[in-house]
Amino acid sequence: MISLLAAQLLNGLAIGMIYALTAFGLSIIKGLLNVPNFAHGAFYALGAYVCYAAMHAGMPFALALALSFIAPAVVGTIVEKLGVARLMNGPYLYQLLFLFGTALILEQLIIIVWGTVGLSVTPPEWLQGAFDLGFTYLPKYLAFNGLMAALTIAAVWLLIERTRLGSQIRAGIDKREMAQCLGIDVSRLITAGFALGTGLAGLSGGLVVPLLGANSTMGAEMLSIAFVVLVIGGLGSLYGALAAGILVGVIQSVSSVFAPSASTVLIYVAMVATLMIRPQGLFGER
Amino acid sequence: MTANTYAFEARNVTKKFGANVVIEDLSIGFEPGMLHSILGPNGAGKTTLFNLLTRDLPVTSGEILLKGDTVTKLKPHQIARRGVGRSYQISSVYLDLTFQENVWLAAYRAAHGGRIGWWRRVEHYDALRAQASQLLSKLGLEQYEHTLARSVSYGDQRLLEIAVTLATRPEILLLDEPTAGLSQRETERVKTFIASIKTEYTIVMIEHKMNVVMEISDRIHVMNRGALIAAGTAAEISQNQAVHAAYFGL
Amino acid sequence: MQRKPSTYLMSAVAAVLALIAPFCMPINIATEIVIFSIFALATYLLISVAGLYSFGQAAFFGVGGYIAGYLYINTDVPLFVGLLLAALGSAVAALVVGMMSIKRIGIYFMMLTFAFNQMIFYLAYSWHSVTGGEDGLGGIRRPDITVPGVGKIDLSNHVNFYVLCAVLFVVVFAGLYQMMRSPLGLVLSAAKQNMRRTDSLGFSVYRAQLLAFVVAGAASGVAGALFAMLYRIMPIDAISWHSSGTAVFMVIIGGMSSIFGPVIGAAIFIWLQGFFSLMWARWPLLFGIFIILVVLFLKGGAIELFDRVRRLVTGARGERSAP
Repeated sequence: MISLLAAQLLNGLAIGMIYALTAFGLSIIKGLLNVPNFAHGAFYALGAYVCYAAMHAGMPFALALALSFIAPAVVGTIVEKLGVARLMNGPYLYQLLFLFGTALILEQLIIIVWGTVGLSVTPPEWLQGAFDLGFTYLPKYLAFNGLMAALTIAAVWLLIERTRLGSQIRAGIDKREMAQCLGIDVSRLITAGFALGTGLAGLSGGLVVPLLGANSTMGAEMLSIAFVVLVIGGLGSLYGALAAGILVGVIQSVSSVFAPSASTVLIYVAMVATLMIRPQGLFGER
Repeated sequence: MTANTYAFEARNVTKKFGANVVIEDLSIGFEPGMLHSILGPNGAGKTTLFNLLTRDLPVTSGEILLKGDTVTKLKPHQIARRGVGRSYQISSVYLDLTFQENVWLAAYRAAHGGRIGWWRRVEHYDALRAQASQLLSKLGLEQYEHTLARSVSYGDQRLLEIAVTLATRPEILLLDEPTAGLSQRETERVKTFIASIKTEYTIVMIEHKMNVVMEISDRIHVMNRGALIAAGTAAEISQNQAVHAAYFGL
Repeated sequence: MQRKPSTYLMSAVAAVLALIAPFCMPINIATEIVIFSIFALATYLLISVAGLYSFGQAAFFGVGGYIAGYLYINTDVPLFVGLLLAALGSAVAALVVGMMSIKRIGIYFMMLTFAFNQMIFYLAYSWHSVTGGEDGLGGIRRPDITVPGVGKIDLSNHVNFYVLCAVLFVVVFAGLYQMMRSPLGLVLSAAKQNMRRTDSLGFSVYRAQLLAFVVAGAASGVAGALFAMLYRIMPIDAISWHSSGTAVFMVIIGGMSSIFGPVIGAAIFIWLQGFFSLMWARWPLLFGIFIILVVLFLKGGAIELFDRVRRLVTGARGERSAP
């Protein structure tokens, strides 16, 4: 039993890091645009399928992962320039719908190219197998997944907190008009932020493929979970999303030991509980 | 004047935003049936005080009393229903509603308390409609009755704002810079109007224009840096050393 | 107050539209349009009047549909009892979701309604025994109606079923229009423009918006129940986020400046769906492109299009008649 629980805990941490990374990207975009990115799940799925395609074509895993960041980031840039930027000045309903339409299009394109059957890849040689921890086994890929996610988050943190671009992004998030007055090219900032956010989503997708495979509904599922993570973590808090993501992953995995069919619903129960007990989220401000 | 006769009062009120103390241990009271003005340099905490009185902001510590009852924990719509009407520094009329609709809403709330009818059509409330028209006429705005608020000048929007506040049939009127942004003529109009309704309400006004304050106020309260530094009639205030120091740094 | 059209007049127009429809198209299409008009009208109340951008209306559509479907399959309930229970069920669901979502500021609200929609979707998906899960709830019957004096009306007759749906459509239309012209409508409109001001005027914006949300939920539930009876199956997709997006889209494509907008939007959507889905299984792609084009180039929807065309035509006529 302990072994099973421990294994699920490790699973939960791994998937939680994925949630955290995706939600982190969503949080950046939400902070800059002030609109939830309804296409975020689609970019996650896109990253997953790009990773699959790259590995299927024989590319090394590292390259596949890089592509799973780059491709969605590029598409995200195009999407942002084509629509989001043009709709910036009106009511945000139109930006929302634009992103919604984008999500539909991306989802369908994925099905057209890769079909609806679930796909999977095996992790590369050097990541197969597991570490024997005594009380349980830790699959090497799980460890890699967590490490990779953590490194990415740390890198983005460095970017945001320690570079000039980062401080401009933070300014754009906190006070857009003021940033504009200070001469910061806010529209370029938003594009950069959007590309970064969607790239992170794509990278999460790439990381998840050897773990859970890729399928045509993964986008919608992840979008909803990402929203839940943001709610639990606290909307205004960039880093709350990280803690909440891990928490949600652990809840989902550990509960699947006891009640497998209810483990996803439990995430929403956690969201409801947060809304009732601490509506501003774990790390949000009133 | 003892504390019991205040229509509206803040007692030992402190307001902090994080580490920033905007109002510190302030006690201020407003006697009924008079026009009170609150003066003070920018940043003195006047609008913050208003926000505390209307419950748009929670107090950090202290009490707010309305006619002797403690109202510190009430929500904005609750204190509004107890007879506290407020106009805002930046015009907050509904730009996409007509003048009639703007005033009607306030009049409806005054007549029906918290209830919001969901069946009878708005046009069929004849008494309210007439009341709104009357109020608009009183302020010289009758020609805009069916005009959208966004189509008129800022000065007329500010007047509409006063009409809306009056329509809520308040006992206490909080006016936050009612003549801000108005021309000389419009300022005169508003000033005269406010003076004409002095005896019907307890009015508390934040104003920067000295002539307006000095000419029509019954009592002037001067704030600086979150504290009350003087209170009295226009004559008393104009002699007050502390006030001079606050304004002119002497 | 400006005289806005009376509810009788507006409802008469709606009734006329409902009357003509079956003569212009296959009756099942007309029925589907009428049903989705109810759904779109409910969404219009929220999005256009109240400014509540709910991206989870399919949850209530679905709850109503599943409740009605389940009752009609497993019990003997008369038709209207089933409809009533469906409306009640979705109203309760809307009350619960609304209580947790409405107090939050706009963007939060959108995300919450979406997330709750997903949650209810998952519930429906996993509760096989009641909802049929992925396969949907099939075998739904259309109960007969017994009208005193007239006798039994068999609803498996498509025309009879259309009349039922059309009557409910006109009733919902009239009810919602009347509500929009009531003080509630004005308060919602005011809250949409400036929530804080409306609160400080003394209105409980929360209560007003919650009421609108529950009413919209109930109406969506009725639409769902009718939909369940239309094809005698309640598919899982009807409660998914796709369906919620469709609801929002119908409101936009029709045009948000008039209560006829959602009706037009429903018609356009059903036609598009009918047309494209026959051509291509991946038609949601075209739908997505369509949404984007509308949002970029025709924000006012069909009503804006009519306006532009009208101005073009009258403008041209004006030129021609110049000396």
